[in-house]
Amino acid sequence: MIELKNIRKIYEANKFDRVTALDNINLTVQEGELIVLKGASGSGKSTILSLIAALSKPTSGEVIVDAKQISKLSDNFSSVYRRDNIGFIFQKYNLIPTLSVKDNILLPLVSLNPHAKEVEEKIQSVMKRFHIEHKENAIVRNLSGGEQQRVAIARAYVNNPKIIIADEPTANLDEKLSHHFIDILRELKALNKTIIIATHDPLFFGLDFVDRELEIHKGKIVL
Amino acid sequence: MKNKINIYLVEYAINAILRQKYKSLFIVTIFTLLTFLLTSVFFITNSIRYELDSTVDALPQIIVQKIKAGRHYDIDVNLVDDILGISGVNDAVARVWGYYYFENARVNFSIVGIDKYEQQYKNSFTNLVKDFDFDDINGTATMLVGSGVKRTMQSNYYKEFFNFIKPDGTLKKVRIAGIFDGDTELESNDMIIMSKDLFREIFNFEESKATDIVVKVANPEEIATVVSKIKLMFPDTRIITNHDLKVSYQNIFDYKSGVFLVLFIVALFTFFIIIYDKSSGLTSEEKREIGILKAVGWTVDDVLKEKLYESFIISFFSYIFGVGLALAYVYIFQAPLISNIFSGYSQLKTSFELPFVFDFQTLFLIFFLSVPIYIAAILIPSWKVATLEADEVIR
Ligand SMILES: Nc1ncnc2c1ncn2[C@@H]1O[C@H](COP(=O)(O)OP(=O)(O)OP(=O)(O)O)[C@@H](O)[C@H]1O
Ligand SMILES: [Mg+2]
Repeated sequence: MIELKNIRKIYEANKFDRVTALDNINLTVQEGELIVLKGASGSGKSTILSLIAALSKPTSGEVIVDAKQISKLSDNFSSVYRRDNIGFIFQKYNLIPTLSVKDNILLPLVSLNPHAKEVEEKIQSVMKRFHIEHKENAIVRNLSGGEQQRVAIARAYVNNPKIIIADEPTANLDEKLSHHFIDILRELKALNKTIIIATHDPLFFGLDFVDRELEIHKGKIVL
Repeated sequence: MKNKINIYLVEYAINAILRQKYKSLFIVTIFTLLTFLLTSVFFITNSIRYELDSTVDALPQIIVQKIKAGRHYDIDVNLVDDILGISGVNDAVARVWGYYYFENARVNFSIVGIDKYEQQYKNSFTNLVKDFDFDDINGTATMLVGSGVKRTMQSNYYKEFFNFIKPDGTLKKVRIAGIFDGDTELESNDMIIMSKDLFREIFNFEESKATDIVVKVANPEEIATVVSKIKLMFPDTRIITNHDLKVSYQNIFDYKSGVFLVLFIVALFTFFIIIYDKSSGLTSEEKREIGILKAVGWTVDDVLKEKLYESFIISFFSYIFGVGLALAYVYIFQAPLISNIFSGYSQLKTSFELPFVFDFQTLFLIFFLSVPIYIAAILIPSWKVATLEADEVIR
């Protein structure tokens, strides 16, 4: 279970340049729930995702995941928390462009220093699941947008995380690929993952397997 | 478990080096060049210092010169008997030696005259007079030459004989009977050895005179006493001890290596600025990469370990490569260019071979001057980025 309590996030470049990105956010996401965060550009969707993934810390308020105070974790434990719990599909994918598909998918496993055989099995299985195994050794830079996204999904999934987060997953995809991503979502939902999507793509609105849609406006949940 | 080397991090590090081909190549080149230069200079100075020390150690304890009008003058051979009478003196020998300027090659040869019936003041000479006969064979005078002299003469077409020009302008033909190996290369390289009689003939040197007198003292503690006694007996002499010589040799050498050291500190500094600039100013892609690694669950530790492996592999490889090159340059190719600066303390000396002096201390010093500094130059900026909030870095 994910709980956001009285979250406020203020970006302060300097004294005269303060942005209140989130303003008193309260939100609870149950295990296995799929929620969609909607809202205009700059409304604060990405900021919420980043707080849940412990990629940043709230200015005030608490982020609690499975009864743990995520917002109070040290930098090292934040990394470990992400590694063990979060699969993040970034808007710009955030792959390492000069590495191969396989090496990118390997990244979340590295710090566990597992056996080579186990690594190979995990990577092969996740590449198959997301249909990228034919590009195993291709350099990511040379892949198409859809292929890159599948690598990003595979990387997010390789550690078998409980929580999957996707930021604008269809922003760079054509309609066919967007539909394909929705199929993947359905599959992940069926695996009982907790899923949080930030998007303003209407394709996600009114889907039968989405549990809740929340509208964010100027840093507040309005719906 | 926690301390086990993470093979995936090592692989990632190797991969990172290969991915940034040009940058890695650039750093390896600069780094190799730096270690190569530093190591070469240290090797050369060590070798020369070694030569110098052995040369100085082989010098006579006391040299007595006659001084006339403030200048070094020929000394009376008779003084030897008086000096032998001083208590504490073990032995005293009159030496005849000098320099011969060989015009064609523009070098000076040191010529030493020895007498086989005398006690020799050098070990190498003692062996020489045992094995070699300096008496004229069939009326032809003979001499032994150092290897440098041999080369110089040969390249001027004097293969078997050499013609000395006497003070009156006439020629003296002398057979080159063989090569002389002294205690040290530095010493024997430009040396010619012949009989005292031949020496006197070539330089028109009086029978009753010598260049100087060397004195051996049984107990080195008594050198000072003996020196003052000689001074008292012969006020018109200058007395030089091997300690004095050691100091003046050392001064010249230290001056030269001091100049070099300053130059090299400047070079070192420049190199590090270049390397620092090229490697530590992380590009936005490199920063982003660190952010991504953190975002997918790498800890700061993981990032730093990977950077450590990466910088260690690069710098250690360059270090080994540079040291290898320096070894080849100094000891196989005899350090063309640099060695001349050091060896020319008598500017006209013929060139000599650098003895192999392998000094681990030097290698350690250069290692610690380069590898850890480079690693730190990589780790510190990486650490700065890795400790930022991941969100800031990848946004
Ligand atoms: N690091 C930062 N420094 C300063 N301001 C920031 C920073 N990150 C976000 N902001 C600001 O916070 C607000 C919320 O940003 P956020 O990225 O969460 O919006 P979003 O809803 O994801 O928008 P989009 O749909 O364009 O992705 C914006 O006004 C943005 O400019
Ligand atoms: Mg966003």
